[in-house]
Amino acid sequence: MSTPGIDSGSTDESSPAGPPTGNSFLGDVRVNFTRWNRKAIRNPTAFLLEIVIGLFSLVLFAAVFGDVGEFALAEAGYGDVGYITYLVPAVLMQATIGSSFNSGIGLVGDLQTGMFEKTTVAPMSWTAVFAGKAASEVLRIVVQLSAVLGLAVVLGANVETGLPGAVAVVAVCLPVGVLFMAISNVVGMLARDEEVLNAATMLFMFPLLFLSPAFIPISSDIELLATFNPVTYGVDAVRAIILGEDVMTVLDVTAFGGVWNTLVPAVAVLVALDVVFGALAVWLLGRASSADAD
Amino acid sequence: MPDTQQRTEATDATTRADPTTRTDGGPNSDLAVATDDLRLTYSDGTKAVEGVSLAIERGEFFGFLGPNGAGKTTTIKVLATLLNPTGGTVEINGYDVTDRRTAVRATVGYMAQETAIDEELTARENLDFACAAYGVPRDRRADRIDELLDLVDLADVADKPAGGFSGGMKKRLDAATALVHDPQLVFLDEPTTGLDPKARNRLWDYFRRINDAGTTVFLTTQYLEEADALCDRLAVIRDGEIVERGSPAALKRRIGGEILEVDVGSTDATGDDAPADVAVADESDPVATAAAIARADHFGSEATVETTDDGVRVTTRRASERGTDFVVALREAGVAVERFDVEEPSLDDVFLAIADGEVPDLDARDGEPADETRESGEPADETRESAESTDETRESAESSEVTV
Repeated sequence: MSTPGIDSGSTDESSPAGPPTGNSFLGDVRVNFTRWNRKAIRNPTAFLLEIVIGLFSLVLFAAVFGDVGEFALAEAGYGDVGYITYLVPAVLMQATIGSSFNSGIGLVGDLQTGMFEKTTVAPMSWTAVFAGKAASEVLRIVVQLSAVLGLAVVLGANVETGLPGAVAVVAVCLPVGVLFMAISNVVGMLARDEEVLNAATMLFMFPLLFLSPAFIPISSDIELLATFNPVTYGVDAVRAIILGEDVMTVLDVTAFGGVWNTLVPAVAVLVALDVVFGALAVWLLGRASSADAD
Repeated sequence: MPDTQQRTEATDATTRADPTTRTDGGPNSDLAVATDDLRLTYSDGTKAVEGVSLAIERGEFFGFLGPNGAGKTTTIKVLATLLNPTGGTVEINGYDVTDRRTAVRATVGYMAQETAIDEELTARENLDFACAAYGVPRDRRADRIDELLDLVDLADVADKPAGGFSGGMKKRLDAATALVHDPQLVFLDEPTTGLDPKARNRLWDYFRRINDAGTTVFLTTQYLEEADALCDRLAVIRDGEIVERGSPAALKRRIGGEILEVDVGSTDATGDDAPADVAVADESDPVATAAAIARADHFGSEATVETTDDGVRVTTRRASERGTDFVVALREAGVAVERFDVEEPSLDDVFLAIADGEVPDLDARDGEPADETRESGEPADETRESAESTDETRESAESSEVTV
């Protein structure tokens, strides 16, 4: 049996007289990034299911709504767009929202198993702890969206802007992902219950998808609601890149020209929402990590 | 709250920027734990800790005893920087817990009451995460992890996911993760609650080893037996205040007296030649006579003499030594002895007596001062201290080499 303990100070050889200080901020981010990546690899079911659900939706919606969809597209002036191409933003948004809610589920798991407290008591910056976790979740979303998009192309979807467009499509999904990651962390922190989060995923996902131009061009009846729906901006931004044209449905912006008339306002709205909900989530997480008696 | 958090971040930044800074004695302090009038009141007004003062030297194995809701976990959370005290001062390894939080965190290990491991990761990955979180240099991690896996007898299952471990194995892994950085001080919050005796003994053995290697150990427990087996010194907390402190031996000596019970009869048993008037006198009140004799001089001033329906009960450390003399004295006085029994209370009984406040005059007995006894009992943090029951059945297959 080797000696269990004392070679004190050797973990801090550079400054044996001073207090040990842990890692740098980026070091702390990486430690947590690694942990959450390992967890995802260890338990890949949820990760893979998100991809399967995305593809399943694509095939299913194309089969069920195909004819109606083509008709609606022709009515709305998208006569030359295949319905499967039109559906791609819908399934990407669905995958983004579904995957983002795993962030809150991970948080609830840590709160329930004591890992949250264990991580808090380590000499790491709490912002680095959550940044590392979020980075891992963003990476997961990127991989899932890339897989769904790639398979959609295999199934016949067409990205007018090519590979750079595909990269941009994944990129504009991320502000949507960050928004729902923040929302899921807020819900998780308040409810501290995984089942509540699962229900919340559905509560957010389907109404928001159907109140947006995700599946068919929106009618004037729901245009007002769609204006206040963040998913509308995600769908429009993705579709603008896929079709290579201005498809903005709720705002009338003409200052930037072409695709940018959709992208600039859509991304601006999403980033603004990210800042608001991100700040709320960070505030709640910070409060839970702090040592104030409450 | 945002303000506090900003302050903490600023403090962290300071610590990181200048790692050689030494303040307030820092690592030079002789005390691992120094608290003065520590208080913690929750925002709902619950006073969980009310004026706890502790001075624990480096290298000590210190036990903190108390029933559920006494304030043990709240105290340990303050010491481990998870809660800011609402009153008093707390220094850990020479660093103030609120102003030098990162320095405290880097020099202590903390094992929470509820087992906290990542069940999706393997034992090795859990330790690797802990090593990284505590800044153990990358080139030393592999050796350190192997060392700890050996220490807690988990080397065989190092690469299996921790979710499949038994309760005892999870606890041992949890304990190992608290020690990756060779902390000067480790906090163990009821580490054996819910474990079977075999698993408990293995953990005890492990805690002794880390203490022998020089780590100061601060252990909370509900079991006096556990404190007795492990600790150099103890403090007993009740309703947020320390009511007793000393070595386990002193504590047992002070309050763990034997109980001598004697039932007396109405007729004399000294023989037919006993004077009739004595027998009559005894018949009037043999119990009172026996009590008077017991109080006279047999057991010394520290003994407690009570009367029962049938006789007397004497609580004393000298029951075995003087019991026979007492019985002889009773017979000489013409009191018939019908039953004679010496009971040694279990350590847990002793603890229950303290916990329930049935031993209010402890302090007066041996001259060692303790805080005043408080009357009111708040609900305190009952839920925070809920016991955990753990399935240990899978343990038996791989624990044949236990040394106790």
